[in-house]
Amino acid sequence: MAARAEAGGAADLRVGGPAGPPEEIRAPGGTDVVIDSVGKTFRRGGRRTVALAEVNLQVAAGELVCLLGPSGCGKSTLLRIVAGALAADTGTVLVGGQPVSGPSADRGMLFQTPMLFPWLTTRKNVLFGPRAQRSAGLHERDDPELDAEADAILRTVGLAGFGDAFPHELSGGMQHRAAFARALMARPSLLLMDEPFGALDAITRVRMHDFLLSMWERYRITVIFVTHDIEEAVLLGDRVAVMGGRPPGVVEVIDIPLVRPRHALDADTAAFLTAKRTIRASLTA
Amino acid sequence: MSVWPTLPPRDGVLVDDSPPPPADPVAREPAPGEGDQTAVEQSEDRADLAAYRRARRRARTRRLATGAAGLVGLAVAWQIAATLIRDPVFLPSVSQTGQAFAHYLNRPYPALGKPLWYDALISLRRILVGFAIGTGVGVALGAAMSATRVVRHLIDPVIEVLRPLPPLAFIPLFIIWFGIGETPKEVLIVIGVAPIMAVTTVAALDEVPEDLRLCARTLGAAGLYTMLHVQIRSALPGILTGMRISMAGAWTSIVAAELIAATSGLGSLIMQAGDYLNTALVFAGIITIAILGLALDAGLRGLLVLADPSRRR
Repeated sequence: MAARAEAGGAADLRVGGPAGPPEEIRAPGGTDVVIDSVGKTFRRGGRRTVALAEVNLQVAAGELVCLLGPSGCGKSTLLRIVAGALAADTGTVLVGGQPVSGPSADRGMLFQTPMLFPWLTTRKNVLFGPRAQRSAGLHERDDPELDAEADAILRTVGLAGFGDAFPHELSGGMQHRAAFARALMARPSLLLMDEPFGALDAITRVRMHDFLLSMWERYRITVIFVTHDIEEAVLLGDRVAVMGGRPPGVVEVIDIPLVRPRHALDADTAAFLTAKRTIRASLTA
Repeated sequence: MSVWPTLPPRDGVLVDDSPPPPADPVAREPAPGEGDQTAVEQSEDRADLAAYRRARRRARTRRLATGAAGLVGLAVAWQIAATLIRDPVFLPSVSQTGQAFAHYLNRPYPALGKPLWYDALISLRRILVGFAIGTGVGVALGAAMSATRVVRHLIDPVIEVLRPLPPLAFIPLFIIWFGIGETPKEVLIVIGVAPIMAVTTVAALDEVPEDLRLCARTLGAAGLYTMLHVQIRSALPGILTGMRISMAGAWTSIVAAELIAATSGLGSLIMQAGDYLNTALVFAGIITIAILGLALDAGLRGLLVLADPSRRR
């Protein structure tokens, strides 16, 4: 599976001219995640709600793992703990060997609503991450490089002509794609997606599945995808962590043996149905 | 540092350079993200955005034209009524009002008073000074209230008591405290503007979804950057709307104050013109107030449109 370096003129996503040999970086991008005995209890006005108890999960680098479960099973809580938005009461979360302490650009997050900044054009939204990081003194990519990269990413997600459009001028699916481009520009090694397609209609959702699958094939970063939709979990995930129980935790982790690259049409295959049955059995057990 | 995948596409496919994007080697329909649009469709989309914006601009022009027509209709009705009534003290005609305006624009009224433009400037200055201070105080209070629960619980009752009170009721008190110069009038505006701005600012800041801030943090923004560039920036349209509301209230307060307790400013001009039954000048004064108020509101509206692109109509 040698990488075919295209001859000069290939507009590949590395910016800055004909860069180094692509053969070097064949390992999947992204880091691994180790969730070890994580527990979280919410206290509000004297009432204690155990959101998570003794959750153990390991995600390999470059894997796409789905967290599947009904509302209230703690999957979003777990995702936010991995993101660093919430602190776990017990246990540790290691991302790439480092413990998580607060949100960072390394762990990008996508939400149910695109969360684009309405006062910025699509292009400026996409450039928000690098610019903010530059303010914080982190990355030193300079403007022409950033502009070229933004153009390339907008082309990749199919928003080439819409750099100057404002978020309210884009459709729902386009907004999600723009949010995706924005998250990628910040160069995370882990992408955390919290039911990102839940608010879309079924047809657009199918297209977004194809979109995500093709993007993931291209970039291969680690993704943890939260959903309550069995089909979505089976279609997207390498493995599905079924969550639930009382107190909530990971009930079972099921391998999805479907062949990659996958497409939305795979939902009609027999292997898909088998996997779906296995998962449903686990959910209802 | 993470192995950021600035990889070439795994399957060696050219990245979209220009439409149409190439098909994946695995023969299937292009993924929606990469190329569910043919070249024609993409150029149509580009044209669509421009066309969409053009259509909006046309609608806006139509709206302005209709509004202007409404005002012209009002002026015509006024002129007709004045011609029928034929009593310049009761209802001067449009032309008489215009003449009064042009005449006294540069001449003092009464003879030892000040010209209209001077009075207009005086009123404007009082408003702007009071408004600036009131907005500063109000927004600062609102930000503090939004940030800390203790501050919020402390200041909330004070605002709830102050807000419904007509600022005019404080004029005698302010004259006792601050004398008869400019200060009591400016303080008057401040106590009218500040509570409204505080309440508006708290509401606007509260409305910023927490996930928006989390989103900024996961893109790499630091805490302070997020507060300034995301939270406050997001609350800006709400704050500007509060400014428009409190500006209208400020005009009411200042004119009323000048009617009863001032020797300069548009309110006092109207009062004196009324004393001499110079109704045309009264109308001219009222219209000047209207124009100035409209201009300031339009300025704020312009800032609002800059701050909130979705309002661009």
